[in-house]
Amino acid sequence: MEILHEIDLAVTAADSVALLGPSGSGKSSLMALLAGLEQPTAGNVIVDGLDFSRLDENGLAVARRGRIGIVLQAFHLLPTMTALENVAVPLELAGVRDAFIRAEAELAAVGLAHRLHHYPAQLSGGEQQRVAIARALAPRPALLFADEPTGNLDAATGAAIMDLLFARHRETGATLFIITHDARLAERCARIIELRDGRIVADRRRR
Amino acid sequence: MREAWRLALRDLRAGGRGLWLLALCLFLGTAALGGIGSLSASILGALEAQSRAMLGGDLEMRVSQRRATVEENAAFAAAGTVSEIVRTRAMAERIDGHGATLVSLKAVDDYWPLVGRFRMQPGGRPHGLQVAIAPALAERLGLQIGDHIRLGLARLRIVGIIASDPDSLGEGFNLGPTVLIDPAGLDATGLIQPGSLYESRYRLSLPSTTSATRLGKQFIDLFPSAGWTARTPVEAAGSLRQAISQLGQFLLLVGLAALAIAGIGVGSGVSAYLARKTRIIATLKVLGARSDLIAKMFLIQLGLLAGGGIAAGLLVGACVPLIVAKLAGNALPVAPQLGVYPLPLAVAAALGVLVTLLFALPALARARSVPAATLLRDAIMPLRRPTFAVLASMALLLGLLVALAVLTASDRPIALGFVGATIALVAGLWLLGGLLRLGLGRIPRPRGTLVRLALANLHRPGAQTDRLVVALGLGFSLFVALAAIDTSLSSEIHAGAPAKAPRFFVIDLQPQDEARFRATVQGAAAGARVETVPSLRGAIVALNGRRVADMRALPEGAWILRGDRTITWSPTVPPRNRVTEGRWWPSNYRGLPLVSIEDRAARLLGLHVGDTITVAVLGVEVPARIAALRSVDWGGLGLNFALVFSPGYIEEAPHSLLASVYAPAVRDGPIAQAVGKTLPSVTMVRTGDVIGKIGDMLAQIALAIRAAAAVTIASGIVVLVGAVTASGQARRYDVMILKLLGASRRQVLLGQALEHLLLSAILAGVALVVGGIAGWYVVTQVFALRWAPDTSTIAGILALSIMITLAVGTFSSLPALRARPAQGLHEL
Repeated sequence: MEILHEIDLAVTAADSVALLGPSGSGKSSLMALLAGLEQPTAGNVIVDGLDFSRLDENGLAVARRGRIGIVLQAFHLLPTMTALENVAVPLELAGVRDAFIRAEAELAAVGLAHRLHHYPAQLSGGEQQRVAIARALAPRPALLFADEPTGNLDAATGAAIMDLLFARHRETGATLFIITHDARLAERCARIIELRDGRIVADRRRR
Repeated sequence: MREAWRLALRDLRAGGRGLWLLALCLFLGTAALGGIGSLSASILGALEAQSRAMLGGDLEMRVSQRRATVEENAAFAAAGTVSEIVRTRAMAERIDGHGATLVSLKAVDDYWPLVGRFRMQPGGRPHGLQVAIAPALAERLGLQIGDHIRLGLARLRIVGIIASDPDSLGEGFNLGPTVLIDPAGLDATGLIQPGSLYESRYRLSLPSTTSATRLGKQFIDLFPSAGWTARTPVEAAGSLRQAISQLGQFLLLVGLAALAIAGIGVGSGVSAYLARKTRIIATLKVLGARSDLIAKMFLIQLGLLAGGGIAAGLLVGACVPLIVAKLAGNALPVAPQLGVYPLPLAVAAALGVLVTLLFALPALARARSVPAATLLRDAIMPLRRPTFAVLASMALLLGLLVALAVLTASDRPIALGFVGATIALVAGLWLLGGLLRLGLGRIPRPRGTLVRLALANLHRPGAQTDRLVVALGLGFSLFVALAAIDTSLSSEIHAGAPAKAPRFFVIDLQPQDEARFRATVQGAAAGARVETVPSLRGAIVALNGRRVADMRALPEGAWILRGDRTITWSPTVPPRNRVTEGRWWPSNYRGLPLVSIEDRAARLLGLHVGDTITVAVLGVEVPARIAALRSVDWGGLGLNFALVFSPGYIEEAPHSLLASVYAPAVRDGPIAQAVGKTLPSVTMVRTGDVIGKIGDMLAQIALAIRAAAAVTIASGIVVLVGAVTASGQARRYDVMILKLLGASRRQVLLGQALEHLLLSAILAGVALVVGGIAGWYVVTQVFALRWAPDTSTIAGILALSIMITLAVGTFSSLPALRARPAQGLHEL
């Protein structure tokens, strides 16, 4: 089944991009391609100079290290690891020596210095999403994807999380992709790409 | 690798729930295998260590119905220290004429025992008109030291109760309790008459430089027609060793069944465990973990849990000899030689590891290939076919497993057959599971919601039906087979003598006493039938002129060539016999000796009508032409012989008569008493005693089987529970949604019950056939017993298995049912 059609997209580094569209528009599929989670059946995906479409599953896993950070609606923290360990995992996988020191700093940057040794089940939803953001940013990725990052949170917490996300985006210089159906959320990004039925129907810059 | 270890240990903080089932299965499987192997090894080790004591020396020379001649005695004495033992059977009775009991009489000289220690408890060694008796006889006749008993013509004083008799184990099947006497006492009994059935044994203690085997052969060559049989310590322990290794082999097969079932448990345990880890795997992959890291991580977890289970199983298995010695020391033929036996434990461990890898591999391969994008979608993962590499690895593991199981077995063909049948059964059940899914998916949808739901649960995508079918099918079949074997053995034990069997066998009836014997029996039980046949001992020394002693290896099962046998002659075809080849001699035939051989024995030896066999009878070699082959019905317990001669020449040899008495059971007492009074030297063997003795042995075997089966059944139940629970967990989602849509608890439970009832009913049918065939094979082909399973027991066991399945299957969704919908959905 063909999900995306005639997608031709170039994104500059350090930009903030919203992929906006209703359910089934193909925004998550586009993100899966850009983040190296899936491979296109046709065409190329070149990220940070690397052609993702030429890599196999394992090649993509390695390519994601230090290049791609992902924050998901359902957080997807590892339940048997503490907040600190969760953040350290991608660093450890990339063979970073001071993984835990960096993870601690990253958690402090999202305001969780006091929650280092708590397990996900002991954290609130907002705190869990902060851990997820810290985890995504810890390896200093070139690209940060956030798929409906506030979908599981109440309005106030959601707003705080978005503030944090944009603050960290500015501080780290990572290219930020927000995948959302919420037009107001999309408006916080510099560039807004709208999808319908797997096609880009609008691509504009916020003034 | 360090990375994998770290991730594996962190992930195990959740407790490795689900892998405990796997550890438990492997624990049971390896404990059974290691335990059975260790027990056999420890008993065989004890036999090895005691074989010299069992024989009573370094070499034993045996001859029937005579003592050694002066020349023979001189030859023995020149080789080493000699001890002479005469063994026969006799009737012992109290001095008041009551309680005539068959005993095993053993006359020993002063040198006995050459090896081992003879202990009395209490009392001393008998001399002259004295005896020492086994505790069983003292108990049965109510005798104690100082009392007298009558044996043949002698009145003997009891001077000791035997506590341990070192060579009794190597002497084989004893019908009665032992009575110990000295040669002078034996003479006084008058039991040894020309033609009496007795055996003289000469045990030699040899210098360590002498080879007992070679010396025995030299003696036989020196006295070629004298009917000598030589036995070494290895041979003395031989038949017992063979019996124990056969039983051990069968029990090992039961243990292997436990391990095969454990394998199914491993498969479903790992599968369910990794299915719950899908999101974690995908998350790790999103964070940059490679597939091989994921595989390593779970392999480490699996190794830790499986290793723990296997290690615990080995520990228990290593202790089994100790436990059995403590619990059932007296029931064993020899006390196990305690110690750690590394070989059976290593084999059990290796089999455990191979089974774990084989059954866990498909699930591990699936986990390895979970795509990172799974996190983005909730869709059911498409079931990937195993890759060639996975299939090839599984084939290799299976090959190693089969090779190890078969090569370490003492009976390789049976082990190979068993392993092959198990693999075929698992494959067949897998296929059945697939067909069931396919078939149920095609039938029209039933109207009732519950039935529809139950059926859908069995065939929908992601259903665990095939795995459940294999686990339940294997478990149920095993239960049926074990129940059939157990009840068949029990029925054999409790059946007693067949109705048409004689009440007594009579030994050592002198031909001149035959008329008096018949009259005495008739007097005690009018209408009783007495069959008598002449009997003497003879050994086959040559086949078609070729000396048996020169044959390098005797054909498998050629029991007829080993030692001497009871032979007879008859003018007509004996009762219960049928000529299958050749022709019987005319009833008035008096020419050159002819012989008829039982057809199975002839087939084993490759003998045909017209061939010649030479039989040594009391030192005289009698060549005889085979005139006919016979089939013999051994089932009725009548007097039957493998070798029957034509009358004439052989009648000249001193002989006695064997008789069987057919009478109503109530006349047993009067017959025994009357014969004991008029013919004290005649030995009466009650058929019931023989059957009882065999029954006792069978009961011990049945107990051993039951113990091994209990472990197998336990692992079967664990797997059953595990498999059903695992599939239940996959169904929690449905339960939650159904509840949300307003289904009552009763409706949901009923749907689940229906589903499991349907599945287990189908598999009970399969198990009846498969388990029935397996049980029949073991009962009739391995134990050579009657196939007499108790159908109600089997039905009961199947019903119980179905109920367990139903209960576990239905109630495993209770937690989901109890949860409030909101809370439940939150957990999904």
